[in-house]
Amino acid sequence: MAKSVAPIRGEITEIVGKPSSGRTSYLLACLSDVVSQGETAALVDAEETFDPRSAARAGIDLRRLLWVRCGSDRGVALRAADMLVRCPGFALVALDLGERVPRLPPALSFRLKFAVRRTDVALLIVGRRRLTGSSAALALETLREGIEWTGPGSVPTRLARVRTRTRVLRSRGQGSEDSPPLWWTA
Amino acid sequence: MDRVNRFACVLVEYFDAAAVERGEPALRARPLGVVNVRVDRPSAGSPAPKIAMIVEANAEARAQSVRPGMTEAEARARCPMLVTRPLTEESVLSARHALLEAALAVSPRIEDGGPGLVYVDTVGLERLIGDPPAIGRRLVHQARAVGLAARVGLAASRTAARVTAARASAPVTVVPEGRERAALAGAALATLALSPDLAETLARWGVRTLGELAALPRAGLATRLGPAGLRAHDLALGLDHDPFRPWTPPPFWEEAQGLEWEIDSLGVLAGVLETVLERLCKRLASAALAADALEVRLGLATGGHHARDVSLAYPAVDVKPILTLVILDLEAHPPGAAVTRVAVSAHPIRTQPGQGGLWQPLAPAPRDLVSVLARLAALVGTENVGSPALVDSYRSDAFTMLGFSQPEPLDRRSPDVPGLDSRDHRLAVRRMRPARRVDVEAVGARPMRVDARRVLAWAGPWRASGEWWDVEAWAREEWDVVLSDGALCRIARDRLTDHWYLDAVYD
Repeated sequence: MAKSVAPIRGEITEIVGKPSSGRTSYLLACLSDVVSQGETAALVDAEETFDPRSAARAGIDLRRLLWVRCGSDRGVALRAADMLVRCPGFALVALDLGERVPRLPPALSFRLKFAVRRTDVALLIVGRRRLTGSSAALALETLREGIEWTGPGSVPTRLARVRTRTRVLRSRGQGSEDSPPLWWTA
Repeated sequence: MDRVNRFACVLVEYFDAAAVERGEPALRARPLGVVNVRVDRPSAGSPAPKIAMIVEANAEARAQSVRPGMTEAEARARCPMLVTRPLTEESVLSARHALLEAALAVSPRIEDGGPGLVYVDTVGLERLIGDPPAIGRRLVHQARAVGLAARVGLAASRTAARVTAARASAPVTVVPEGRERAALAGAALATLALSPDLAETLARWGVRTLGELAALPRAGLATRLGPAGLRAHDLALGLDHDPFRPWTPPPFWEEAQGLEWEIDSLGVLAGVLETVLERLCKRLASAALAADALEVRLGLATGGHHARDVSLAYPAVDVKPILTLVILDLEAHPPGAAVTRVAVSAHPIRTQPGQGGLWQPLAPAPRDLVSVLARLAALVGTENVGSPALVDSYRSDAFTMLGFSQPEPLDRRSPDVPGLDSRDHRLAVRRMRPARRVDVEAVGARPMRVDARRVLAWAGPWRASGEWWDVEAWAREEWDVVLSDGALCRIARDRLTDHWYLDAVYD
């Protein structure tokens, strides 16, 4: 992962973007970074859209990943994330809220912020739009820049790769440079 | 170093009372009587009278002349401050097993001598533990760890060790080698538990102590009393000829608590469960085991039972997370009536405690992990918490959910672990579960519109099929499409039904 988009331990990081802009690929890359170092990560999946096969292809050792499926109930997802960030020992807790992001009371944002600081867990929130306001230390927007197709002949039969870049929306204590474009292989 | 005596006897006096005190430690300082209700023969026109009889009394109660066999009324007349508890076989059985397991933690060869009595073969322990007093102190310590106050006698025979433990006032008494006869000489004949006929005959002869029995001529004893007389003579000399019957732990570990009152509140029941779990966990810890799964059985006031199997996400011997787990399960599945009896049995496994490596990353502590997994399972359901595992199938969304447990530390030398720099970036998809049916306008096989959204770019078809030999046969044609709203999707046509589905969104 590019250093500027790595989630920060003890802080909240947000990744937002339109559908197909590369948010989930970034999320899996962050999980892969953590898990490949022997650490433990958790994913709270509000809409149950997590694809274990994509995760395995991204290099995630699935045994080190705790997956919590919330049955499209975002209230439950927030409560599950709140429990996990209070458990010391997880390196990264990812909260994938999907496309319909709920309103988050400011009090809950601060609650999450202080919880992750106490346990030194990196909380990564993925959604359509920003959620935690000033509680997030880092907020990134993903943008899709290009698509390549592949196939044996002139007519493509499969998606080859997608190019995306990230734009820093908010950065507290880190550099605010946008990351260079990345190619994601399908 | 002295030669270690061959046997130790671990003795817990007034065992039924000790079993009750184990569940209620505060009773140790008070006179306690264990009562059992005796039903007498009914007289004409009146129901059968029930009389509470004292079946055991602790040392405090005995100091005030309370003895087994008295009625409760008689005992209270002698000791107005007497506290009584009903005799519950479960608690006695639990305490008996606990004592055996405590002894087993010291020596692999032990014999069950009955309630409150365990014989321990101490041969070879001197190299592990030390001299005989050290072995005795270790046994006392282990018994205390499971809530029982024991005395230990060490001697060359089991009988000598038992009689020594019964007569001693100190926690540990060692009979030096060759001094067994002298050590037993002053003991009463009743300590041998001879048959009533033999005991009566010896009493008629004026034999009151083991020393007097040992002094009798052996040939004369054999002539007059036969083999039983010779055996009694050997015992009085401190010689055992009975075979040693080693005890092995049962495959289950259980603690139980009978209740005098009915409990209909989960909060109060939690207090009782905590006491029972504390005893169970101490037993497991003393044997270096951990609980992998629990079975909680609640006896109900209606006469029925409420049983729950509680699996632990991580082997544990910590009471608090286990209690949290059990309470959460009982909150989800409450008993149908008031509770009158609590029993918890554990499936034990041996854990390998080890120190983490210096460069090993921090992981959730087992206690915290068990607790948070239990809370998550209560929130979203057990089937929705765990680690995904891929299934060997051509179906693109084939996976299974496994229970999450703390994985082994990462081996950096393992070739399966890719280096950070060698990994390339892979595009992920967001699955639709279940796949959402969509309306597709197609020209030939090629999709042109998906739910009224124009297809800007496309690739396909990519055909796949499987399980044609089974009733769940499937065959599909996949297309990667870019829609007019910017979404990059994978849609699929079911070739068996000719329906189109939105399978996943690349993201």
